[in-house]
Amino acid sequence: MNRWLVFGLLCIWLLFTLFPIYWVFITMFKPAPAVFNGPTYFPFIDFSPSLTGLKEILGGGRGNMLQPLWNSALIATTATAIATLLGSMAAYALVRFEFRVRLFAGLLFAIIGIGGYWLLTYQGFETLPAMGAAFGLALIVSILANRMPLPGPVLGNNDVAFWFISQRMFPPIVSAFALYLLYVEIGKSGIQALDSFLGLTFCYVAFILPIVVWLMRDFFENLPVAVEEAALVDNVPRLRIFFEIVLPMARPGLIATFLICLGFVWNEFLFALILTSGEWQTLPIAISGQNSVRGTEWWGIAGAAAIAILPMMILTAILARMMRSGLMLGAVK
Amino acid sequence: MREPIRHLFIWPAVLIVLLVTLFPLVYSLTISFQTMRLVPPTPPRFVGLDNYTNLLSELRFWQVLGNTTLIVVVSVALQYVIGFALALALHANVPGERLFRVSFLFPMLMAPVAVALIWRMLLHSTLGPVNDMFTAIGFANLPFLTNSLMAKLSIILVEVWQWTPFVILLMLAGLQSLPTSIYEAARLDDATPWQQFWGITFPLLLPLSAAVVFIRLIEGFKIMDTVFVLTGGGPGITTETLTLYAYQEGLKKFNLGYTSALSFTFLIAVILFGTLYLAILKPHLEKRA
Repeated sequence: MNRWLVFGLLCIWLLFTLFPIYWVFITMFKPAPAVFNGPTYFPFIDFSPSLTGLKEILGGGRGNMLQPLWNSALIATTATAIATLLGSMAAYALVRFEFRVRLFAGLLFAIIGIGGYWLLTYQGFETLPAMGAAFGLALIVSILANRMPLPGPVLGNNDVAFWFISQRMFPPIVSAFALYLLYVEIGKSGIQALDSFLGLTFCYVAFILPIVVWLMRDFFENLPVAVEEAALVDNVPRLRIFFEIVLPMARPGLIATFLICLGFVWNEFLFALILTSGEWQTLPIAISGQNSVRGTEWWGIAGAAAIAILPMMILTAILARMMRSGLMLGAVK
Repeated sequence: MREPIRHLFIWPAVLIVLLVTLFPLVYSLTISFQTMRLVPPTPPRFVGLDNYTNLLSELRFWQVLGNTTLIVVVSVALQYVIGFALALALHANVPGERLFRVSFLFPMLMAPVAVALIWRMLLHSTLGPVNDMFTAIGFANLPFLTNSLMAKLSIILVEVWQWTPFVILLMLAGLQSLPTSIYEAARLDDATPWQQFWGITFPLLLPLSAAVVFIRLIEGFKIMDTVFVLTGGGPGITTETLTLYAYQEGLKKFNLGYTSALSFTFLIAVILFGTLYLAILKPHLEKRA
């Protein structure tokens, strides 16, 4: 009796979850009357499917969809690949090496960086050179300071990892808006950063790096050290150990991390909205425009939405399979 | 192990994150003390805390803050309760468990923009299926997206639809990591399932629960794309959220100093909230551990 109650609850939620998805995939095949005469639910029974919606979307009738689709695919895979590589390296370093950062050196970095920047702009320097000089100097000074036996607390690997993940706490509008202003500044010097492949990809790499570090740290922690130690004894260089032994062993984790981050970038809206305007517009931006462009031409709107969600549904199915084999359990603890 | 090569491993990631978070942060902090316009370009002028005082005396800011808080708190509470309940249900060995698990996850990785677009159709007050359902029980043509209260509820509904899977996923993993021996002992003592839940499951999963709710709250406060498509912040500004407000001020009105002050206030609020949340929960978490 109790079991059937539980089963019933699950079925209700299943219906709630799946109905909107079902709705998109039937609506994209609806002819106009099946939309305008009130909702219809069953293809072939209360409406006869048509391919108008798909043709409009792919033919670029109302705004080109193929270009944003291509942009999204290119930017998402590039950014995710770079972030997965660099993030894995950082995560590996945090697991296998020991880092000590003096709080004092960190404070020094902030004070010299911000103070120097304000001083230089006050002296009439442009934003970018002032910032580069101030923070370059701050970085060198603080690295040197870190080597000295200075008083104050010393931060370890866990703190560095926490620093990475805490970046995700920032409201993205802070960095998105400031990046927009910086990109405008960069644009003044003749390099186009707004609405460019590099500009958007670069900020996405930074956007997902913390997630990669956080996830991969767990996977590396669960790898056996014995193989690496054996290789070290044989004087195999660290880089080779990492690329030829560690990465292949962590392959399931790498794939899962890659897929999760791919999803993040594919769906990202705010940065794309602010940092692109035309040529490098991504899919979510093109889709959000459908609303005003099409009104109640739901076959086209549903088609556009379907293009965005279908790859992610496949990805979810793959991830769910990987999770069942107990792969993601570590990430929870 | 102290090998010099470790720097090669960690610095690329650190530098990129520094570049993209720290530089903009310092830049926008600087601008938040200035008046600055892009169109027409006027040179920046130092105005001290004027932008901040303007912001805090602006009625719209407080209303937007209230909207965001209401939407986030209510939707996260619902996500947690429903998500935990469904995770418990999935954990109870029901038939078809595999199908349920995969299907439940689908909404989570979908683009919020696309999700909002879908729900806009579903909630259409004359042509949508939700209206069909309400008409059947005698409430025709409800203004789901154009009445200020119903628009808020609609956004909450969409948030719950999309993010409850996240809670299910993590709570289920948590449930699976619990030792079975405690439950066997509890059964020997004739503890009812209700007692088992409040006596064992809930306290053991409290740290995980705290983390899940924290992540959802932080992520929830960033909400923008769902609202942007679903209601556009309307009717009026009754569903406008902080991020959407900042976007409107910054990239529609190009009020740069003011927007920077706004986004900094947002950042400070998030940091304060996070610290407070952890401080309140810490004694409870340590006691259980």
